Amino acid sequence: MGLESTIEKLDKYFDRLEQGKAQKIEPEHVDEVIRKLEARAQQLEAELADTHKDAKKERVWQKIELVHKQKDRALWLKEKLCEAP
Amino acid sequence: MPVILLVLGAGFWASRDFQEIAAGVAIFLFGMLMLEDGFKLFSGGFLEVLLEKATASLPKSMGFGILTTTIMQSSSLVSIITISFLSAGLISLLAGVGIVFGANIGTTTGAWLVAGFGLKVNISAYALPMLAVAIVLVFQTNKYLRGAGFVLAGLGFLFLGIHHMKEGFEAFKDQFDLTRFALSGLVGLVVYTLVGAAATVVMQSSHATMTLIITALAAGQISYENALALAIGANIGTTITAIIGAMTANYQGKRLALAHLIFNVVTAGIALAFIGPLRLLVDTIAAGVGIPDNDFSLKLAVFHTVFNTLGVLVMLPLMRRLIIFLERAIIPPKEDLSKPKYLSDAVDEFPQTAEVALRQEVKHLYDNAVELIAHGLNLHRKNIFTTKDIAATVRASRRPVDFDLDERYEARVKTLYAAIVEFTTRVGTKDMPTDVMDDVYILRDVAGRIVRAVKSVKHLRGNASRYTERPQGAVTELYNQLRTEIARILVEIRQLDLADPKDRSPLWLDQQRVQVEQDARDTNDRIEGLIRKRQLDASVATSFLNDSHYAYSAMRDLLGAARAYYIAPEDALAEVEHILGLEDEELGSLVANALGDTHDDVTQ
Repeated sequence: MGLESTIEKLDKYFDRLEQGKAQKIEPEHVDEVIRKLEARAQQLEAELADTHKDAKKERVWQKIELVHKQKDRALWLKEKLCEAP
Repeated sequence: MPVILLVLGAGFWASRDFQEIAAGVAIFLFGMLMLEDGFKLFSGGFLEVLLEKATASLPKSMGFGILTTTIMQSSSLVSIITISFLSAGLISLLAGVGIVFGANIGTTTGAWLVAGFGLKVNISAYALPMLAVAIVLVFQTNKYLRGAGFVLAGLGFLFLGIHHMKEGFEAFKDQFDLTRFALSGLVGLVVYTLVGAAATVVMQSSHATMTLIITALAAGQISYENALALAIGANIGTTITAIIGAMTANYQGKRLALAHLIFNVVTAGIALAFIGPLRLLVDTIAAGVGIPDNDFSLKLAVFHTVFNTLGVLVMLPLMRRLIIFLERAIIPPKEDLSKPKYLSDAVDEFPQTAEVALRQEVKHLYDNAVELIAHGLNLHRKNIFTTKDIAATVRASRRPVDFDLDERYEARVKTLYAAIVEFTTRVGTKDMPTDVMDDVYILRDVAGRIVRAVKSVKHLRGNASRYTERPQGAVTELYNQLRTEIARILVEIRQLDLADPKDRSPLWLDQQRVQVEQDARDTNDRIEGLIRKRQLDASVATSFLNDSHYAYSAMRDLLGAARAYYIAPEDALAEVEHILGLEDEELGSLVANALGDTHDDVTQ
């Protein structure tokens, strides 16, 4: 999962923030989303453990994988926000 | 109205002082209107957030009613906001009744203001500078400054109105002696109570009636005894504003208006029945706080406070019974899924209620849409929402659901969507904050996507029924796959809806979006393979490709609608979710990469 569009969206967010059209994101806001993603991952892992059909296992597994990628993106975002002046 | 105009005309002809009194009342009422307009400009969230938080318990609701009515000097405005909140489902009936009870105590501060300050100080000296400063603020572009300007102008006009009423009565008493019409005993009580009620109905403000009574009493134009009856009548008359406000509200708003009427009539009844002991109590309190025995204006203010507080004390223990009575007296209308449940004129006055009501109505539309989509594909919500194997459940669900999808679409989707579009247009003409309007337009778009999803399923229904009613080989499998994918999305959205709002995120839907794009791409390859193997007739394949286009459009619309609907309500969190979410273009490249990986795996 590439970061290009995330970078683009982050740039646009900074522009809107400068114009006073967006609410400032604090690192705690990203932590809150990370918490939600972790909760989702746990929920999916429980679902995976309860799944026997291979096709369904595959679908749940893909979901877990994406949640992990989203979490990585969130950590990256937090880092960028902390670096921002 | 003709009667009122005739009375005014006759009065103007008979006396110049009457003109001054009438102008005083008019200026006072104009001031109240400006005050209401000013406070409405502040209701860009502040007032509503306060109301939402301050109604967690009955004492809090009552305290809120007392405080806001004291600040706004209008129990009518507080009642109307409360009806609006109740109609939008933001507060409970119990909290609403608590606010109304509190407002009845809060409104008594008006009598104190007029009797204690308005009559003893030359308030017109304050009124004129207030009006001059107010007009400067009213012309500002910032809506809060404009709001402050209207509030200040409202107060200025209230003061000016009181001044003219006072002056009018002072001069009037030299020409006419209204005390000739004074009635004593029971007859006086009943007649003046009715006059007080009628005057309040005409002026739509008990505050204005009380001011008129106090100024007339101070000028010696009415007797103290009759003034007490007039004050009791004003309390009955004031319920008319809430009743008018409730006419456009839903059944909850109507219940609150009835509660207001019952409370004020019972309070008035108690005051009339115990007028003698109440007078003694007022005299005792007045003597206790140092009010001179002949200061009837202040004693009237004491009376107003005592009998309203007494009313609350009497009604409080009966509160639960009152609620039960209201719930029995005004029964919720039998649910008609084709009619909007939350959108009404009562909710579009205030930004918070407008947005909340619209959000709930969009959910109502979605629930109706889910029924149509499921039945349109010959599926049953109960089965797909409870099964552990959606594909198997869909395969087993073959019997066509007997209903007219077009007719049901007109009745349960199109009418609601029309109401939503009409409501958002109406709200757009009001002076709503930009962030609220942004959310309103997002919700309108969500509704649009839901409607498009249903329309897509309408196109799909014929062939989906035809090819899945009984097993017909590859084509049945293809249509079952489409039905399964749509069912999966309905299940995913339901899981998101049922999750704790603190834990859920529209990011949950991203994998489903990737899946939809992957399946849409796989479909073409699969069809080509089936045609080559002669397992699928070319004409059937063409129909299927057409139908699959509708099916994937429906899936994209449902997921798009849910992503926008379930975005975090807090702006900063929504920003994070927006930045982290996958864009539509990204979905394509992700799928291409995934397919590339698969091809690589195959070739290795």
